Amino acid sequence: MTLAVVGISHHTAPVEVRERMAFAPSEASQALMTLRHEAGVEEAVLLSTCNRTEVYLFPAERIEVVQAWEGLLEAKAGRLERRIRDYLFEQRGDGVVRHLFQVSAGLDSLVTGEAEIQGQVREAYERAVGMPVDPPLAGPVLNRLFQMALSVGGQVRSETAIGQGAASVASVAVKLARKIFGSLKGKRVIIVGAGQTGELIVQALHREGAQGVTVVNRTYERAALLARQVHGQALEMERLAEGLAGADIVLSSTAAPHPVLTREIFRRSFPSGLRRPLLVIDIAIPRDVDPALGDETGVFLYNVDDLRKIVDEQVRLREGAIPQADRIIRAQHEEFRTWYASQQVVPVIRAMRDRAEEFRHLELDRMLRGMDHLSDRDRERMEEFSRRLMNKLLHDPTSRLRKGIRQGGGPKLVEAARFLYGMEGSETSDPGVGDTRPSDGRTNDTAD
Amino acid sequence: MIHLVPLLIYAVALLLWIRLLLKGAEVQDPAVPAGITGLGVVLHAVALGSFWTQFGELPLVGPGAALSSLAFVGGLALVATLPLRDVGRVAIALLPVIMVMQGVALILGVRPSDQALDFQGAGFVLHVSFAFLGYQGLALAFAAGLLYLIQHHELKEKRLGRFFHFIPPLATLDTLGRVGVWGGFGALTVALLLGWAWTVEHRGSLEVYDPKVMWAVLSWFVFLGILAARGGGGRNDYRGAVAAVVGFGIVIGTYLIIRITLGGTGLFL
Repeated sequence: MTLAVVGISHHTAPVEVRERMAFAPSEASQALMTLRHEAGVEEAVLLSTCNRTEVYLFPAERIEVVQAWEGLLEAKAGRLERRIRDYLFEQRGDGVVRHLFQVSAGLDSLVTGEAEIQGQVREAYERAVGMPVDPPLAGPVLNRLFQMALSVGGQVRSETAIGQGAASVASVAVKLARKIFGSLKGKRVIIVGAGQTGELIVQALHREGAQGVTVVNRTYERAALLARQVHGQALEMERLAEGLAGADIVLSSTAAPHPVLTREIFRRSFPSGLRRPLLVIDIAIPRDVDPALGDETGVFLYNVDDLRKIVDEQVRLREGAIPQADRIIRAQHEEFRTWYASQQVVPVIRAMRDRAEEFRHLELDRMLRGMDHLSDRDRERMEEFSRRLMNKLLHDPTSRLRKGIRQGGGPKLVEAARFLYGMEGSETSDPGVGDTRPSDGRTNDTAD
Repeated sequence: MIHLVPLLIYAVALLLWIRLLLKGAEVQDPAVPAGITGLGVVLHAVALGSFWTQFGELPLVGPGAALSSLAFVGGLALVATLPLRDVGRVAIALLPVIMVMQGVALILGVRPSDQALDFQGAGFVLHVSFAFLGYQGLALAFAAGLLYLIQHHELKEKRLGRFFHFIPPLATLDTLGRVGVWGGFGALTVALLLGWAWTVEHRGSLEVYDPKVMWAVLSWFVFLGILAARGGGGRNDYRGAVAAVVGFGIVIGTYLIIRITLGGTGLFL
């Protein structure tokens, strides 16, 4: 039996390829059904985000399973510049466990420590759990693996600084606004210029409760378009001072070659000075806001360099937490290995007992065959004696086997037991877990 | 000894708040330092309660006992902020003030006063209680103002470091400062009126040259100054924070001058 993960991620494929292989929730469900019904997959979970599309498979020994998944990706992506295999990565055995734990903890994300991935892993797992198939696609192994991955993600985020700080320009803007205004509910935002980054920041502020968005743009139609998207109002550039007067947060992102928001406009907007703080975020290059505005009392002016510097600091802070996160992942990884091995030991013990029982019956029948003079009572006594002898002989090895597994003996101990009892070739054999085998020539993208 | 216990607990709580600040983390759970702070206030109440039962008088007369009670009122004000999201972090500025008061009280000795019999009755107790509330309102406004100025500086300097993460938002601190000043001003006004009425009733006339009366009146004018700074046009939140810090400094400075120049066991504080 083997665990495997096969897919693409931001390590192996550019965004134009990733976006073509991204599965919407309904498409993911359909793909899982196809894998079950057409390739006979036992357990599968499909994780699809903007940075990765990967399927976790158990067992994945049969090549047809992986081929079926590649076929699904190929059909989804359509015609690509290169072969689909050039973009794929594949991990097997232990590598899968480590990979999923890293993904869930945000260590494998484009922005280290980002929080969304935890929710996306949960959705993928719940989708597999909720599929109307029997046996369930999130069977015993993937069920345990994903539950542990979610727990690892939570533990890493709560015990390390991996998810702390704002790691994007939009999140820095929101953080700054919250540290100035507390709640953003009812705060008024004015956006000067209808650029994409400005739009992202406005949407982030809007999610935090900011209202009354005013869009000011040189082209009124463009302003009106963005204003409609964010349920705001549009203004012509000539009325900037008027719009500014009611604002708490100003976002500027025009392509103008000179400052758009000058001290003169500011003074026109606030003739008797500011009565409340004003957060000004200038993400334009060249800058839209006169730097001297930052000297005004109550104005908190941040340009794109300031924001980038803050983001870089936060990312460095997060990266400093990676060794601690890795320690947590290693410990949980070991716990999964032990659990998995304990699952493997049950059939071994059962086989040991079956074999012993078989020998007991065989030898007892042989002995009793020549002892017809024995009464039924004596026969029962001999039967009882043989059962007790067998139980006593098996008690120590089985309990020590269980104890050894609990203490981290792992697959090696299971293999040793199989060897001692001559069961190497039995169907409980498991070369998969505990064995990392990158596939033939394919990219192995994880940070291992 | 019993009065030393809350001081030690306050010290532990302060260390925990400082530890939280030094962690520099964005998501910080203040449950433990908040709990220890609350425990300190509870033990402080127990200590003052034992004083009352042991000596049969409220710990309001005599510098040591009165300062300990004043510190306790500060602790109560702090406890009121703890359940509010982020607001309890003012403990990092308010706990040192409370600890200094309790420390000085211990140095002076939390003991019964031989003047206690002269100062009895509901009017007197209310007068002192309102005065304590007034001063602690000012202490709260000071703590909020101090943190406001630090956070303001961090934001202006574009440093998203430990202080930025730890200190509550400017708007929250401004609200807390406003509550402290208005509450303190109201309480001190009531205390002055009650004190005036009590003195006239028991002493025949108001002793306007009594240092503690002069100090209380000066404190009242300081409140008035802070309120004036908070009113008017422009950035009244920033001015209010500066005024609260300066005003608290004036009140404490004046108190120290009075203690040093006119110190004696006859003074309340």
